[in-house]
Amino acid sequence: MLWRSRGVEQLEFADFYVDSRDVCLRAVLASVVDRSLAEDLVAEAFTRALMSWPKVSQHPAPRAWVVRTALNARVSWWRKRRKEVPLGITAYMTAVAEPVIEVDPGLLRVLRQLPRRQREVIAVRVFLDLDTRSTAELLGISEGTVKAHLSRAVATLRVQLINHHQAEVLP
Amino acid sequence: MTEYNSESASVLTAVRDGFAPVTMHTPLDTVVVQANARRRRRRAMTVTAVAATVLAVGAVGYGQGSSRSAKSATPSTAAQPVHIVTAAYTVDSQPNGSVTVTWTKQGYFQDPSGLQAALQKAGFPVLVKVGEFCKGPSDDGYLDPSGVGRGVEGVMQASTDSNGQVIFTFDRSALPAGNELFIGYLSPAQLAITHGAPGSVERLVPTNTTLTCTTQAPPSHYGTRG
Repeated sequence: MLWRSRGVEQLEFADFYVDSRDVCLRAVLASVVDRSLAEDLVAEAFTRALMSWPKVSQHPAPRAWVVRTALNARVSWWRKRRKEVPLGITAYMTAVAEPVIEVDPGLLRVLRQLPRRQREVIAVRVFLDLDTRSTAELLGISEGTVKAHLSRAVATLRVQLINHHQAEVLP
Repeated sequence: MTEYNSESASVLTAVRDGFAPVTMHTPLDTVVVQANARRRRRRAMTVTAVAATVLAVGAVGYGQGSSRSAKSATPSTAAQPVHIVTAAYTVDSQPNGSVTVTWTKQGYFQDPSGLQAALQKAGFPVLVKVGEFCKGPSDDGYLDPSGVGRGVEGVMQASTDSNGQVIFTFDRSALPAGNELFIGYLSPAQLAITHGAPGSVERLVPTNTTLTCTTQAPPSHYGTRG
């Protein structure tokens, strides 16, 4: 009986993984602006999601749970790295082939210039399509802070993206 | 996207479109294997803790039939190409049917349930237990000074590379029909026989019969091979 329920659980999770992995990866990539790290963090978050699937599957926004977990894992990752401890959460993904360049490096450069919180708000709003209240709950900040971060981020991005495109066009 | 004016929306759309080509490269199997290995590790830690508690009050050597798990009793016979990389080990199936496992000496003893899952996924039948040592009904219990039973040498070979990593090669073709490899890890309470060094016992055991298992630690040996 236990084996059967585990099988059903894995089928449900497989559907969720296939439907959500790319969106979650984009959100995390927009936040951490590091392709390999984002892949590792999202894989780690999905691993934790499967381990807690009965709970995660009942979550009102499972994708948001994955993204939040990935971003929290990043904190652990940095702490571990700072202490020069072997990278447990990333090492198992080293076999994944180095991805080809998928995102305009200029766009990543522009995002990298934003403060971390602004990037996270952008990532959650753009890729998870959460409203202000849900974004505030997910990131643990107030709705006013979400609006402020979003406004500043959009203003910066607008200028930087225009500059980036002009630089691309001009010789 | 809601709640945005048209200018904001165009900026956010540009960001979203810019990330559209980004896709996950990590296969579902990798996530599932990792999660299952952690679950087993968590259970094994619980079992080990319970076994250690039992040993602490002097209960050793019960000699009952093995509670072999359904999964290990019917190991996968359909070998599939496997390339698994974890923090503790790598597992690669080879074209000749053998399975190469690379662990650091320390890592070999860190994730026994992960090893079982990886080998079974590669089609190599194995039964891994912690703090419990099993043998078939016709096995006289012989172990060499390294804690290895008869016939294991051809099935599981160890070597050390230039970086000090221990490389184990598991050859399924050398495994007699109707047998599987048994690996019994010493529980923390049993490490006294290896003077504190992590250790294990390896034997070939039949798959079609009830095994005799005991929590009594095997004779003193130095199990850290490689």
